[in-house]
Amino acid sequence: MKNQPITFLTDAVLITAVVTVGRADTILKAVRNAGAMGGIVHLARGTGIRERLGLLAIAVEAEKEVVSVITASDYQDFLAEVIYNAGELGAPGNGYLTVTALERMATYIPEEAAARLARGRHE
Amino acid sequence: MPTRYRFSEFQRATGTTRPEARFGQLFPEPERDADGRILRLKPIVSKVTSQEVVRILQPYAASRFGEQCHAVIPLAVYLVLFQLLILRERFEDSWLITGGLFAVIVGLMFFMEGLKLGLMPFGTVIGSTLPRRSSLPVVLIITLLLGIGVTFAEPAIGALKTAGQNVLVEKAPYLFALLNEWSDTLVLVVGASVGLAAVVGTLRFLYGWSLKPLIYLSLFPVLGLSLYCALRPDLASALGLAWDTGAVTTGPVTVPLVLALGIGIAAAAGKGDSGLSGFGIVTLASLFPVTGVLLLLLFVASTHTPAEIIQAAMAPAVSGAADLAWHETSPGLEIIMGIRAILPLVLFLFLVLSLMLRERLANPAEILLGIAFTIIGMCIFNLGLTYGLSALGGSAGGLVPMAFMEIDGHADSPIYGYGVGLSLAIIFAWVLGFGATVAEPALNALGITAESLTNGVFRKRTLIISVSVGVACGIALGLAKLIFQLPLFWMILPGYLLAIVLTYFSSEEFVNVAWDSAGVTTGPITVPLVLALGLGFGSATDAVEGFGILSLASVGPIISVMITGLWARYRMNMQVKAAAAVEGAL
Repeated sequence: MKNQPITFLTDAVLITAVVTVGRADTILKAVRNAGAMGGIVHLARGTGIRERLGLLAIAVEAEKEVVSVITASDYQDFLAEVIYNAGELGAPGNGYLTVTALERMATYIPEEAAARLARGRHE
Repeated sequence: MPTRYRFSEFQRATGTTRPEARFGQLFPEPERDADGRILRLKPIVSKVTSQEVVRILQPYAASRFGEQCHAVIPLAVYLVLFQLLILRERFEDSWLITGGLFAVIVGLMFFMEGLKLGLMPFGTVIGSTLPRRSSLPVVLIITLLLGIGVTFAEPAIGALKTAGQNVLVEKAPYLFALLNEWSDTLVLVVGASVGLAAVVGTLRFLYGWSLKPLIYLSLFPVLGLSLYCALRPDLASALGLAWDTGAVTTGPVTVPLVLALGIGIAAAAGKGDSGLSGFGIVTLASLFPVTGVLLLLLFVASTHTPAEIIQAAMAPAVSGAADLAWHETSPGLEIIMGIRAILPLVLFLFLVLSLMLRERLANPAEILLGIAFTIIGMCIFNLGLTYGLSALGGSAGGLVPMAFMEIDGHADSPIYGYGVGLSLAIIFAWVLGFGATVAEPALNALGITAESLTNGVFRKRTLIISVSVGVACGIALGLAKLIFQLPLFWMILPGYLLAIVLTYFSSEEFVNVAWDSAGVTTGPITVPLVLALGLGFGSATDAVEGFGILSLASVGPIISVMITGLWARYRMNMQVKAAAAVEGAL
């Protein structure tokens, strides 16, 4: 195993959306269409709104999908809006999203992007 | 060195982006004690406005409504277009039929949602706890009773009773007796057969029996009894009904509830994870009722003479046709039928749960609402069945023969020459069968299971197409049976003999998928439509009875799926051989 110097990426945010089961694919598609890379989906079960709604609860699925997308903080509002609209989070009972600042992240940096990074330092 | 700010931070700081609000401002002031410490938060909202209720319910209702429209509308449009364009005949009561179809869509929407909310929770809880708490015989007795309950609750069963009103007592006295005077006994016998099938199917899960010998064993008495009835002219007319009941029984209530219990029992015994779990019950539940109905037929025939039945049928027609009680005429009758279909099943499930298992369900209000939905849906569906599906099917069925033969009251019939018209009628039936099956959601689910079960040898699309072709050919054949007045038995016998031979040569997976596909395809829309079509067609062509189409539509896919399976296996073997040959050459 070869040790490689790690490059930390800063100013990253995590956008987490909790949506009705089945919506995650729509959201990830919208995220990709907006030019972002994509994200991951977990299954989850929520409580709260169903208990509050009484019999109306039948219209709200207890099964939820949690979509996590990481992006640069520069684009957080743009991407949050894309997810908000794709998930129809403006309608009651459809879920919510949060934006969390990430301290640092690290991953493979593609060569083309690494070159851009290097140029940025010299300028 | 100057401090560097990011542009996005600058935007945020100057408030040029989207509006922001402090989350805490959404909450009302919390309850505090004397020292100002928070005791309890107050919820953000205390009540939901009516506008919000609409916004929550609208997408929920719209998606369910759309689902049912998707199943009903293409078929209805096809029938209407065929009648208008090919037969050039206008509809009588077109508004009534449209209203009826709308009722079918709304009824099924409520029924399916109610089933999910109200009945399935019972099925899941009973299926997972009963087998662990009670001994096997007790569980099997409950399975048997459940089979009876679900059969009464099956929406398509109502179509059988509707069909009974159109049978002429003089021509087929025993058929008439079974569908009218004995109709409740008929459903009971069918239900008991379904229950028995569920018991045998469950035992099969438990002990890992192969499906093949079970098929041979259950076909033997069915074909034997059918042969006996086919040879007696007075009984032969009821043969179509007996074979059709098999297709009617396996619908949206029976399959999931009985499967939940069967799989629960197998899982409790630690045998739940074989890939074939869940298969077989549907097959047996479509074969056993045929035997049951035939036995009932023999019983009726041994206690009543045709003359007695005709006399009994004629008597009330003279005296009491005028003043029927409200629950014996149309809207009231459907509502009573709906309640009578669902309530016994619900009571039975409730008793098992509360008395035997001492379990309580999680959301009683939601379950009550679900049961209410099921009953409302059943009532609306029954209304729609009478005015929409049966009327549409009957009307189309009564007019299709016009294409090739003379029909009383239609001066311009036959519209086409005998050959052209006959081909048109057969093609009509074929396309109807294909279209109705391709769209069936249960078939899609079976396709996914089949694909994973056969490791992709059998693709989902291949299965859907081969089942649809099988059903289409069966329905076309059924129509031919009515046109040429062929004896049903001599059409079913070769079909099942061929199916037996194919079963012998096919592997266990394909046998399971093929035999189950027959029962899966006949849902609550196809069954009433095809029944009504056959009966309308039958009465227009002066056939004795219009049953039998569904039974041929059940044999069709069994044969077509197994042939496709054998072909797929043959091709795979050839590929393996070819690959080996290439390797050897290298």
